[in-house]
Order: sequence, then structure tokens, then C-alpha cells
Amino acid sequence: MRFQLLNRLLLILAASFLALSCDLPRDQKNTLKRVQSERRVRVGLIENEPWVRRGASGEPTGVEVELVRRFAAELGVTPEWLWQNEQEAMEALKRFEFDLVVGGLTESTLWKDEIGLTNSYFTDRIVVGTPSSAQTVKGIEGINVAVERDDLLTAALVSEEDATPVRVENLSPATETAAAHDWQLEQLGFNLTDIELQKDEHVIAVAPGENGWLGRLEEFLKAQRPAIKNMLQQEFGEGR
Amino acid sequence: MRVREAFKMPADKEEKLRRAQRLEWVTIGFMLSIIAVIGLALGSSQAMKAAWVEDILSLVPPIAFLIAVRFRSKEPNERFPWGYRRAMSIAFLVAALALFAFGSYILVDSILKLIAAEHPTIGTIEIFGRQIWAGWVMIAALAYSIVPPVVLGHLKLPLATELHEKVLYTDAQMNKADWMTGIAAILGIVGIGYGFWWADAAAAGVISLDIVKDGVQNLKQAVFDLMDEECTTVGEEKKDPLQTRLRRELKKLDWVKDASVRLREEGDVLTGEAFVIPRGETNLLENLERAAEQIRSLDWRIYDVSIVPMRSIENEGKGDGN
Repeated sequence: MRFQLLNRLLLILAASFLALSCDLPRDQKNTLKRVQSERRVRVGLIENEPWVRRGASGEPTGVEVELVRRFAAELGVTPEWLWQNEQEAMEALKRFEFDLVVGGLTESTLWKDEIGLTNSYFTDRIVVGTPSSAQTVKGIEGINVAVERDDLLTAALVSEEDATPVRVENLSPATETAAAHDWQLEQLGFNLTDIELQKDEHVIAVAPGENGWLGRLEEFLKAQRPAIKNMLQQEFGEGR
Repeated sequence: MRVREAFKMPADKEEKLRRAQRLEWVTIGFMLSIIAVIGLALGSSQAMKAAWVEDILSLVPPIAFLIAVRFRSKEPNERFPWGYRRAMSIAFLVAALALFAFGSYILVDSILKLIAAEHPTIGTIEIFGRQIWAGWVMIAALAYSIVPPVVLGHLKLPLATELHEKVLYTDAQMNKADWMTGIAAILGIVGIGYGFWWADAAAAGVISLDIVKDGVQNLKQAVFDLMDEECTTVGEEKKDPLQTRLRRELKKLDWVKDASVRLREEGDVLTGEAFVIPRGETNLLENLERAAEQIRSLDWRIYDVSIVPMRSIENEGKGDGN
């Protein structure tokens, strides 16, 4: 009896997979279809340099803003921007008032259970760099490590390694050992060490359960992955 | 102190028991592989989490069985004069309690998710450079989890009945029913694929209801066994016919006027007292000894039944004449 039932169920399952598997997964609230038919995508912006930045005349710029522009262009739709703080943006996204939220979010965001997140499209590492002339170092315990003046996080990370953070205006690869984002140190001409102080996986937030929309965005981000480091360095260069 | 004699299992049953033990090891191996595969594919699907928990829980009966089998073969000693046979009843209780507790947890969790109208998000993953929906991977993992337990369950069930092992029986039943859990979880994920947010939590609810049902049933049986309920058969929970047979055999003896039997289960074996009214007191000790021997040879499961001679067997009216 049970086996007959099992066979029948398996058959039905297999048949329905074959017939319909191509357009799965679908959205639970039709975001992808709506974006395409209305030709607009509603984007929440959380200011967070260099990912999302308010330009001189108030227009949004930054790496993730650029990514969203390219994604919108690929879909043939127009982005509608709205500046928010993180709390507002996430509460609204959870209630499907936004299609996307960008703001340098990482996989470890506290909102991760309530919204949808893409796969990580960029791994941002905070590492230690040594002057271009120096030999390799094994550890930074007990030495002075330069960090950017406003970079409180990196200063704290350096302290945790029992080194002394020295806050400077500009990191200079000529003399000092420094800690900063790997792409930043590379651009400044430091030698990168294996000493990694922090690792962040960057993601973009979507409304919860919009799996078709999420899949489409992830496909786009996958193609963009090789370009991210360059975009960051360009942003950083303009900022200085 | 006079401790109990050690229980000796007949050679053919011993062989079956070893086979059951081997099957339990195989079960543990397969379940571990299934738990690993599902654990790797586990995403935000509630149904998949429920199926995973059930797979993890289905490790408890085989482990309990294997430990208890080892334990109960220890010989009775001064500290434990009745021996260790009851280890199996304790194992049974533990297995049942685990089932019930985890089932309830998942059930409540699923209902809360339904009430909160949570929309499960499942993105894509990259396999061999290709972007595919993670739901497909989850379904593949669940499909793998369906077949081995069903086969193992069917192999273990007849052994459980023959050896009168309730833990083994519970385990076999759980394995046999496992495919429904797998299918329910697959339906939940396919539901997400079609954009029905509730399908997942609903499937999880159905799975957990099934776990809770198993848990309650087995918990009841385990407690009843420890409370020395009258002996029952494995699975169908009917009155064990051995008790009636024992009484009939005793009454057949020419020196016995009447007899009554009160037995309880200690895992697979039956133990207890047989009360007899002798026709006279001549050769009473010899008669008792011979009867004890006869009872023992009646069935392999009869173990340490004391024969108590009495003048009358009172309160027979409340029972059903055994």
C-alpha cells in the first residue's frame, strides 16, 4: 500500500519537475515581474563610504550604487533612489516597500533572518601591510602600526593583536607598517602580509522570499565580481 | 545473597540479535551520511530543518539499542541482584522522550513561523561554475535521505518481532516512515520554488506532527513498560499469549489444583510469579522444582518465574482468569 503511494508520489514529483523546473524559483510577491513591467526598481540607500556615497549635488554614487545602475540597465529599468537610515531601510524592505537595499552590508548583518541577502559578491579583508622595502613580518605584537585617523575599527583590531595603533592622516608606504583594507594597501603600494585582522563578506539586501528576483541579482553580481576591486580603488582614489 | 541466574539466549536468537546489531550499525552509518548531506544543503527552509532534526533523532533508538544490548548481558550481582535486563526499557524511554521533545519544538517553531508569515529566502549557489537555485540541491539531498532508511526499516521489522525488541521495533517503524518526511520536505521546498511562502512552514508542521505522534505513542508504551503493564506483543500491543499458555501448562500438572500467573516484561524477557494451589503437600518441593524446569523450557523468553504454592488464589475476579 505504502509503496504504491510512494511510487505514485515520486512519479508526480518527477513529472512536475521536468515540466516546470525551468522557471523556478518564482517570487512570493512577484518582484521580478513587477520591476520589469513597471520599468523601475525601488532602491533603499544607506550612506556608507565607499559603497554608497552622497555626491556633491546630492546624487548617489559609490560602488554599490554603480552596481545597481548597471543591474537596472541590464534589466532596462530605472532606479528610484531613497536615502534612509539602516533601521528604516530594513523595516521597509521587510515589508516589501523596497526591492533592494544597498549600504555596504555584510553577511553578518543583524537583519539577516528577516530579509533576503545575496551571496557574497566581494570579500573585504583588513590586513597588515609593510613598507615596500621591508622584509616579511610574522606578527605585529609590540610594534607600531599606522591606521587612518578616522578608522576606529582597524585601530581596535590592531590593539587586539597587542600592537600599538598610530593614527595618521595619510598612510605612507615608505616607512611604516600599516593596517587597512587589502585593496587600499595594494593601491598605496604596501606589501601585503598574511596577517588578516578582519574579513567581511559583502552582500546586497532584497525583500524576504523573493527568490526569483534574488537569483537574477546574484547572477548579475557573479559577473561583476572581478570588477569590484577596481571600482573600490577608483572610489578611494577620488575620495583622496 | 542469592542473585538471579544469568539469562541465556538460545543460539538461533543470539544469531538474530547479532544481525539486528549489525543492521543498527549500518543504520547509524547511513543516517550519519544523510545528516551530513542534508546539513550541507540546509538553507532557510523550515521543512528541511524538520526533516534534518528527525534524521538526527533517528540516531537515538539505534544508539540506545546498541548500548542497552551491551549493558543488559552483564550478569546479575550483589549490587544489582535482578541483573541489567531493564536497561532496554530505560533506553526505550529515552528514545521516546527525545522523539517527543524535538517533535514538539519543531511543531511550535513552525506554527510561529506561519503566524509571523515568514517568507523563506533561498538564493542560488555556484556548482562547477554554474549558478543554480539552492532549492534543487536541497531537494537532491532530501531525495538521497529517502531510500536507505526505508530499506533498513523493512529489514529490521521482522527481527524486532521475533526478538521481541520494542526499541528495535520503534526504530524500524521510524525508518519505514522516514520517506514521508523526505517527501513532505521536498514538497515544502518545491512550494517555495513556486512562490508559496506558507508551503514550507506547513510541510514542516506536518512532519513535526508525525514526530510528535510517534513520540507520544512510544512515550506511553515506555512508561507503561516501566510500570509493569501486563505483557503485550510487539507492535500491535495485544495481550501476550504466553501468559495464558503458561497458566494452562501449570494447570495440566496432576498435582496442581489451580494456577494463576502474574508476569511483567523486562525488555525482551518475561519474568514474575506463578501461583499454584497444590492438591496435597506430598513431594511438594520436588514437584515445584520440576514445574520450574518445565516452565523454563516452554519458551525462550520465560526467565526467572518463581512458583509460589498457596492455599487459595484470591482476587481472581478483578482479572480475567490467568
